[in-house]
Amino acid sequence: MKLNLTLPKFLRIGTLPLVLIVLAAIAVVVAMARYAYGIGAISDLSYSYPWGFWISFDLFTGVVISSGGFLMAGTVYILRIKEFQPLLRPAVLTALLGYIMVAVALLVDLGQPLRIWYMMIYWNHTSVLLEIGICVMSYLTVLAIEFAPVVMERFPKLHKAAHFIHKFIMPFVILGVVLSTLHQSSLGSLLLIQPQKLHPLWWTPILPILFFTSAIAVGLAMIILESSLSSRYFQRGLETRLLAKLAKAIPVVLVVYALIKFGDLIVAGDLGYLFTSGWMSVLFWAEILIGVVFPIVWFSVEKNRVNPNALLTGAVVTLLGLILNRFNVSWFAVKHPDPLFYLPTFMGNVKYFPTLPEVAVSIGIFSAGILAFGLIAKYFPVFEDEGRAAHAGD
Amino acid sequence: MTDIKHHAYLFDATRCIDCRACMVACSVENNIPMNKTRIWVAGLGVTGEFPNLQRSTMVYHCMHCAHPDCMSACPVGAYTKAEDGPVTYNPDKCIGCRYCMNACPFGVPHFDYDKGLIDGAFIDKCTFCPQRIYNGQEPACVQTCPTDALEYGDRDELIKRAHERIAAHPGRYIDHVYGEFENGGTSYLILSHVPFEQLGLPTLPETPINEVSEKVMAMTIPFALGWGAVLTAVSAGVALYEKKKNGKAAEEKAEPAETSK
Repeated sequence: MKLNLTLPKFLRIGTLPLVLIVLAAIAVVVAMARYAYGIGAISDLSYSYPWGFWISFDLFTGVVISSGGFLMAGTVYILRIKEFQPLLRPAVLTALLGYIMVAVALLVDLGQPLRIWYMMIYWNHTSVLLEIGICVMSYLTVLAIEFAPVVMERFPKLHKAAHFIHKFIMPFVILGVVLSTLHQSSLGSLLLIQPQKLHPLWWTPILPILFFTSAIAVGLAMIILESSLSSRYFQRGLETRLLAKLAKAIPVVLVVYALIKFGDLIVAGDLGYLFTSGWMSVLFWAEILIGVVFPIVWFSVEKNRVNPNALLTGAVVTLLGLILNRFNVSWFAVKHPDPLFYLPTFMGNVKYFPTLPEVAVSIGIFSAGILAFGLIAKYFPVFEDEGRAAHAGD
Repeated sequence: MTDIKHHAYLFDATRCIDCRACMVACSVENNIPMNKTRIWVAGLGVTGEFPNLQRSTMVYHCMHCAHPDCMSACPVGAYTKAEDGPVTYNPDKCIGCRYCMNACPFGVPHFDYDKGLIDGAFIDKCTFCPQRIYNGQEPACVQTCPTDALEYGDRDELIKRAHERIAAHPGRYIDHVYGEFENGGTSYLILSHVPFEQLGLPTLPETPINEVSEKVMAMTIPFALGWGAVLTAVSAGVALYEKKKNGKAAEEKAEPAETSK
């Protein structure tokens, strides 16, 4: 006897979406356990390590990889370089989903997730975290407004509303760029209050400037990555000519970044740490070589900028290097008080290493984000060629 | 007892006998489980060579800083610094972000990692026993200390007393009162016979740690307004330039057409 395993049409999905759904579901289960039994039940966070993988990956990485949105909005609307229009919508969508992922992750990480809105009513104006909270919340709204026309265009009845938003988009674009500048840099400012904990190779009063500069490079690399991957997955054309222009900008940004970074080390007199700090020196050089030197060299060669595969490779390596910088600043290079000295043994773990459930939460949220991107890109006019096809069909 | 202008503690490491009665007293007074004590006592072992052996014990305690980093860092302002010394935490505002734990150079604030949504996970730290000090009593930890290793009083008086004790016993103490100037001054002062790093205390500058981040934060609003103005000007400028250029292009297009006639 033969079993009939054919699924109804709406239940048939590809392998990738299925994997993403499963990963997201695992995260939901783990999060439920966290809400029932506490953060300690699923993570290795402790008195000595109050922030760990979640903050480094979900907050620091999540925010920085979403910087493409404000870059493209600024380029297309403020500088009026209209040729980048095809990259605008995917970049804004990536940013919108990225920030939603940050917010969802914070709902797991916060001790009092139901009070996340307290940031809107209780303001402590000396707190860097408040600035980030306010900026992220406001920017999420701005991104929703910027992206709303894409959703509205799908429904003929809402075309008027889409047109209306489009007409008054400029103030929101400017607000978006300002908010992005503020919180991309403020993520670096978060560490300013811990000079005795963060290694001197990274701690500097100009951390916010370094964070903002590198966020631009990350945003450019992220646009290349997301365009390349979606062109492969959806089998649509790739805007290689535009991506090549973005790739050309990456070395410029990173040279400025390197000059500021090393200039600051020289001024602060911290050059000695470059080779004498053991693992810290290794991490520093790894970050510099992968995230700064490699992209400068790679994207300076024209051949690499016009070849889709080389573009993708370069973008991935750049992202890895600069994300390593975020992990270094927020985790690896932060020296926590030695609990052997500091706390009775029952109070804290001596070491921190993220647990599997902890990582599963982040991966699940990330998977849900990719899934959402895929679904939205499939059903809404995100990529211009598809939009045009739809209009032609009309 | 009401003449205390600035409440403070003085801890003398040479007097502590590691009995941990202060931990118990604190837990009883404030009704908190022993595994979440707000004071923690660490016997740091025996050092030196026989017969010159030395053992030291440190009582870690909220330092009640003059410029508290927890308070500076807290996004929702759950911390307050009273004018007369105590730094207190308000659980009704806390969102559980744990930034205060990162910010505190002494690792003081604790978090309920074992509590879920229903119980509510909060920060906990020393309150300076307001129910006692404002009623003319010493804090629980001080009152219970059998050797007077922990003392309580007015900050200026305690600093004076500490310096007098150093002068009276030359050679017994390190000539420094930890907390007199550290991090802009703290209300938990420490006397020690071994270097303070050996007690696990961070070496801190006299300027408050949060000075840099507070300066940067103060620039936020002016920067945002300025940057917004610049972007508005740029976008207006670009729009104007484009209009002119398009106009010119249109004219140029028109002109050759005319001349060709």
